[in-house]
Amino acid sequence: MDVRKYADLFLTESREHLTAFNQLLLEWERDPAATGAVGGIFRAVHTIKGMAATMGYAAVADLAHRVESLLDGVRRSERTANAAMLDLLFRAADALERAIAESVAGGDAAPGVALLLAELDREAAAGPAAPVRESRPSVPVILPQTGPGKGRTVQVTIRADAQLKGARSLLVLRRAEGLGPVSAVTPAPVAFENDAFDGRFSFRLDSAAEVAALTAALVAVGDVERIEVSDEVAEAAQAAAGETQRSRHIRVDLRCLDELMNLTGELVIARGRLHTVAARFSEPDLHDVSGQIARLAAALQNEMVAARMVPVWQVFDRFPRMVRDLARQTGKQVAFRVEGKEIELDRAILDEIAEPLVHLLRNSVDHGIEASDERVAKGKPAVGQLVLSALRERSTVAIKVADDGRGISREKVLARARQQGLVEAGVAALADEELFHLISRPGFSTAEAVTDVSGRGVGIDAVTAALRALGGSLEVRSEDGAGTTFTLRLPATLAIVRALLARVGDELYAMPLTHVAETFDARPADVQRVQGREAVLLRGQLLPLVRLREVLGAAAPAVPRRGQPVIVLELGERRTGVVVDALVGQQEIVVKSFEAPRGMLPVFSGATILGDGVPALILDAGGLV
Amino acid sequence: MGHRVLVCDDAIFMRTMISDILAGAGYEVVGEAETGVQAIERYRELHPDLVTMDIVMPDMGGIEAVREIVKADRDAKILMCSAMGQQALVVEAIQAGAKDFVVKPFQPSRVLEAVQRVLG
Repeated sequence: MDVRKYADLFLTESREHLTAFNQLLLEWERDPAATGAVGGIFRAVHTIKGMAATMGYAAVADLAHRVESLLDGVRRSERTANAAMLDLLFRAADALERAIAESVAGGDAAPGVALLLAELDREAAAGPAAPVRESRPSVPVILPQTGPGKGRTVQVTIRADAQLKGARSLLVLRRAEGLGPVSAVTPAPVAFENDAFDGRFSFRLDSAAEVAALTAALVAVGDVERIEVSDEVAEAAQAAAGETQRSRHIRVDLRCLDELMNLTGELVIARGRLHTVAARFSEPDLHDVSGQIARLAAALQNEMVAARMVPVWQVFDRFPRMVRDLARQTGKQVAFRVEGKEIELDRAILDEIAEPLVHLLRNSVDHGIEASDERVAKGKPAVGQLVLSALRERSTVAIKVADDGRGISREKVLARARQQGLVEAGVAALADEELFHLISRPGFSTAEAVTDVSGRGVGIDAVTAALRALGGSLEVRSEDGAGTTFTLRLPATLAIVRALLARVGDELYAMPLTHVAETFDARPADVQRVQGREAVLLRGQLLPLVRLREVLGAAAPAVPRRGQPVIVLELGERRTGVVVDALVGQQEIVVKSFEAPRGMLPVFSGATILGDGVPALILDAGGLV
Repeated sequence: MGHRVLVCDDAIFMRTMISDILAGAGYEVVGEAETGVQAIERYRELHPDLVTMDIVMPDMGGIEAVREIVKADRDAKILMCSAMGQQALVVEAIQAGAKDFVVKPFQPSRVLEAVQRVLG
């Protein structure tokens, strides 16, 4: 059998078990007396072992087997965990991960595990109970051991290459019992549990059956080399019936789901066109069928979106282990908490934010949270708090990474910004948004800045870019000495979003509603100039304006009319009014992301095709605010 | 005549492989279970001709599940799927009423032989 086709499945499932392994280890580390975790780890490793052996990945199977032996000893002797053993197991988990990746990639062995294997064996042997299954509650002996017994003597030899000869012998005995009373089993069946059992045994069978029939019945058990009957039945067949019931879940390749989503997207576009075309005719039947198709497409779309949603724990679950390791490496004490694990996100989005989250968490542990003595000196608890949380907010999902560390040093950011000529010399303080603006500038976080600016800002530009590509946004709040919170706002689903359509000149632009707070008409008289920028007063608050026409470099506005439509964009705390020529309406759009050509304005996140077949660019709120 | 089989294993990988082996030989996999508890429920629902049962599963292990299934249906045909070095557990499963066993890593021919033996 060609097992290679199972490699993907093996990899996916092994990773799940490794995640469980790591999580349970963490649990066990927190509560060394909790032996419940051991059982779970044992099962995870055991499953990996079985799968790896089937795939022919000997190195993985061997490593898993040693870990399993250690855990089995621990489980049965109820040893409590100590730091050395936990450390060994953490390393074993890492080694397993590497060995699995290596094996699937076609390599044959996990490099450098010899030492680890030796350590595992030593640790396993250190336990009070030897790794032999003697102490497990012995199996009740079902067979009577009475004197010489009645009937003929039957000698059985199990094939030398048979697996689990003892278990096979027991099956032979079972079969014999079906033929007549069995007695005088030699050696006693308890010996069958021993792995060293050689597969030769005898018993007395009181049966009138002919030798040939008897032999045939026993050989049929399988793996029987020879049956010798010193002097001579059959068994029944059974049938069962019942109606068929199918499993309610099936597995679907993610690519298939993506393609279905694409097709659904195309259908939604076609529906829009049909609606537009139908509006030109006064034909009731046409409107009927157009309406029906619209409803069906909407229902299909909802189902498709739901099918793509996965809970965030699928990515979050790997972070506790990562944070623990980081904390150890940096010699810090960090209490890590994950909240809102059950919140669901589009699979594609979740996959994309894993990397940015790693970045933010690493920053927090590495640069945000202080060493214990430093914290104590500042009057803070010795253990730093790090919280990763997901929260549903209307059509968006907010993911926060919050620490109670030292915060971003505004002084240092400011100094650095001055040095790079990014701020005026007179600026003395930075608001959160200005701070954010600076640290998320590409190039602001150079290698030099890592030390200068306590590392904050490292890669924040990359995180921002990743989020923008998803139509999301990033904001930061930081208090000197009290901690930093990064908030990632993401659309819950990626493929189809509701958008506001606006016109500038002859072109249509789509603005996803994710970040649209409201729209209003601004009269020219309301527009003021504040610090060299246009702004309007909206309900007593100054709202800075951006003219899309100018951003796009389009010709000067035609004749300024009485009022001009303004779209108010909201990104966390920041608000900006975008002035357009006209608002066209709301529509569901199918987002087609693209590779932005070089030199393209950084205000587009993708493109779409509208109901009438006209293409429109999708505006990126993050690029405008 | 396709016998109907219930496949119990906590690993999708194993379930897929066993299902593929069985389906390739004309058996019909009518259900899957990931835990001992599920195995018992599914057995009750489906009355399959054969059950393949993993030993180590969360919630309730395979041996306990064999015991429960056999308690309800003495004629249940259960094939244990064991890893190497689980002799004592397999012996226990047979005592509990399992009819045969196969050892991982699976060789399709061995699995099918065992299935045929169990189905008689």
